[in-house]
Amino acid sequence: MTDPMLDIQNLKVVFGTGRLRVEAVKDVSFQVEAGAAYGLVGESGSGKSTVLRAICGLAPVSGGRVFVDGRDVPTPRDKAFYRTVQMVFQDPYASLHPRHTVDRTLSEPLAIHREKDAETRILQALREVGLGPSFRFRYPHQLSGGQRQRIAIARALILRPKVLLLDEPTSALDASVQAEILNLLDDLRRKMGLTYILVSHDLAVVAHLCERLLVMRHGEAVEETTAAALRSGQASNEYTQSLIDASRGYSREAVQPPPAIAV
Amino acid sequence: MTKPLLDVEDLRVRFHLRTGTVEAVRGVSFQLGRERLGIVGESGSGKSQTGRAILGLTPPPGEITAKRLAFDGIDLQTASRRTLRDLRGGRISMVMQDPKYSLNPVMTIGEQIIEAYRAHKRAGKAEARDKALAMLEAVKMRDPGRVFSLYPHEVSGGMGQRAMIAMMLVTDPDLLIADEPTSALDVTVSMEVLRILDELVSERGMGLIFISHDLKLVSSFCNRVLVMYAGRVVEELEARHLRDAKHPYTQGLMRCLPTLANDVRPLPTLDRDPSWAQ
Repeated sequence: MTDPMLDIQNLKVVFGTGRLRVEAVKDVSFQVEAGAAYGLVGESGSGKSTVLRAICGLAPVSGGRVFVDGRDVPTPRDKAFYRTVQMVFQDPYASLHPRHTVDRTLSEPLAIHREKDAETRILQALREVGLGPSFRFRYPHQLSGGQRQRIAIARALILRPKVLLLDEPTSALDASVQAEILNLLDDLRRKMGLTYILVSHDLAVVAHLCERLLVMRHGEAVEETTAAALRSGQASNEYTQSLIDASRGYSREAVQPPPAIAV
Repeated sequence: MTKPLLDVEDLRVRFHLRTGTVEAVRGVSFQLGRERLGIVGESGSGKSQTGRAILGLTPPPGEITAKRLAFDGIDLQTASRRTLRDLRGGRISMVMQDPKYSLNPVMTIGEQIIEAYRAHKRAGKAEARDKALAMLEAVKMRDPGRVFSLYPHEVSGGMGQRAMIAMMLVTDPDLLIADEPTSALDVTVSMEVLRILDELVSERGMGLIFISHDLKLVSSFCNRVLVMYAGRVVEELEARHLRDAKHPYTQGLMRCLPTLANDVRPLPTLDRDPSWAQ
């Protein structure tokens, strides 16, 4: 077996000290091979987003180790790290600078990493996410939610990273737009051989995009399972089962059927 | 045939802006008895504005017109402000999307429920307090006495939303409008909130308008569903017949959701036909 692209060993994230000490992530370990997509599922407060943030340096790694592409990541993260790993955030309304044009948003990472050919790279990045060159000089408020998320993905991809960290990339979007973004992410992964880590509370979305996933609760890993097992409804863990049930929609068992009064 | 609780005919909501007039709701008609009606649509479809217009909560430059907008025989368009004030929160209540923004941050949850109750019923402090505690218990708060004296920032999203439901139902309304009551909540928590809402609505036999973008959720919760697109109702159907939806927009909305049951890729996307908006 080849070395995993991402190897998380006993990751621990602690915020605050003394009375305010919170262990947001307790001893979470997982491995993701190159080109695979891995899901992190759980309710809010389960620490799933914190794992992502700890990987890319937005949250402290209080214990354990993070290896990316066989290399122990340094703190603070260096430029080489950000060339390998990029992140897409949940809310495209909040993650793009409101007073920067698309062009400026996309040229920033190129400038930081002293890349040449900014012009062609930007046009190419726009093309990759299915937007035309006409979007280049627009401001975020001139774009729809789906278009903004495409720009956020273009910004993450412009440095040609190997790993994309996706933090609820579709939960702020309408169902039909969600479908477009999921298709785009699927396509890009196939074309560029990207490795994904996807955080979501929506099991169906995770099962669609990922092959393997980790269910988290209260900062702990509950169960590692596969999308195929989810689809067949097999979960060895009670909590995972309750998530599967909840994703099927509201059910009225345990509740009396309402006396419907016809009008 | 009994008289409908709410009768809406040709409801229009317009916003006159500097850049022209935007019609957010364009001729929506429906009648509601003591049943559960779901209104589904994407953002910008006018579903929330429909709910707000019924209560007269359309924000200022907005203008509401309708051939008929009547609640239990009271014409909401010509009713005095006083009558409307009595109706709002009294006989018609509304649960908003995010408890973080819709609860008063500087009042305890208990005080807010008491305030809502005493604004509509003649009741002493002690009676209102008992009623508030009973209501907090009805929404399955584990320790009603403790929650009563907490501030909104001290409770979780699910608890906040249940407190909101308690506050809205304490006056025993005839009609509850729930605007995305669970979209700010986690899946498992939202199931719990829905179960509570379900119980209370059926116990008290009130009418419910449930506004949501989630077609699957609405169809499993409501009796009847209105599907809105660009300010119009494109399809009205029985929730249990959702699978046989006729309109291409409804079908498209159903298909583009990834499901655990089958693995389709690429996901079918929605091709919007301009004629739907006509």
